[in-house]
Amino acid sequence: MKKILLVCAAGMSTSMLVTKMKQAAEVKGIQVDISATSGHNVDQEVEGVNVMLLGPQVSFRKGDYEKKFGDKFPIDVINPMDYGMMNGEKVLEQALKLMGN
Amino acid sequence: MENIQVIMDIIVHGGNARSKAMEAIQQASEGKFEEAVRHLEEAEQELNRAHNVQTCLIQEEARGNKTELSLLMVHAQDHLMNAITVTDLSREIIRLHEKLFEIKDQ
Repeated sequence: MKKILLVCAAGMSTSMLVTKMKQAAEVKGIQVDISATSGHNVDQEVEGVNVMLLGPQVSFRKGDYEKKFGDKFPIDVINPMDYGMMNGEKVLEQALKLMGN
Repeated sequence: MENIQVIMDIIVHGGNARSKAMEAIQQASEGKFEEAVRHLEEAEQELNRAHNVQTCLIQEEARGNKTELSLLMVHAQDHLMNAITVTDLSREIIRLHEKLFEIKDQ
């Protein structure tokens, strides 16, 4: 199963987004593993990840993550508008697009 | 506005401010001061947006309309406070980088 990892400062607001994304995936009948973590735990969570999405509050770390994991999976910042609106469907779309689905 | 939307507004704008301020420091460390200052200004604009939401909540409470206090709301306040601190400090750190570059050029 494809694995989407969301990263933010504490993993709290992204956890809410995960719930919304899971709902959107269920409606669309897409089987996908979605989880959230804090910036401090990224190293322990990247195993088997297919795409990494960053919350706007950690977007400045994109360069660091790209250096570290850029050859393993695509990394992008979640559209702040979709993030603010907690639009699970849009963010799921963004993740699927990045994975080339 | 729904409570959750208010909370997310604070988190997103506060978060944007923090990221912009951090980028500004990174750029200053590379000697790109014009870009650094531009990012710092953007950080301040984002901070203002987050702060305006916060001010509305405080004014509402003063009028007797209390906001429901969830852990997520506390978390949003954390984000905002952190963003203010990072933005304030980034201004000083950029100044330090400017001085470092001046010394290097001498």
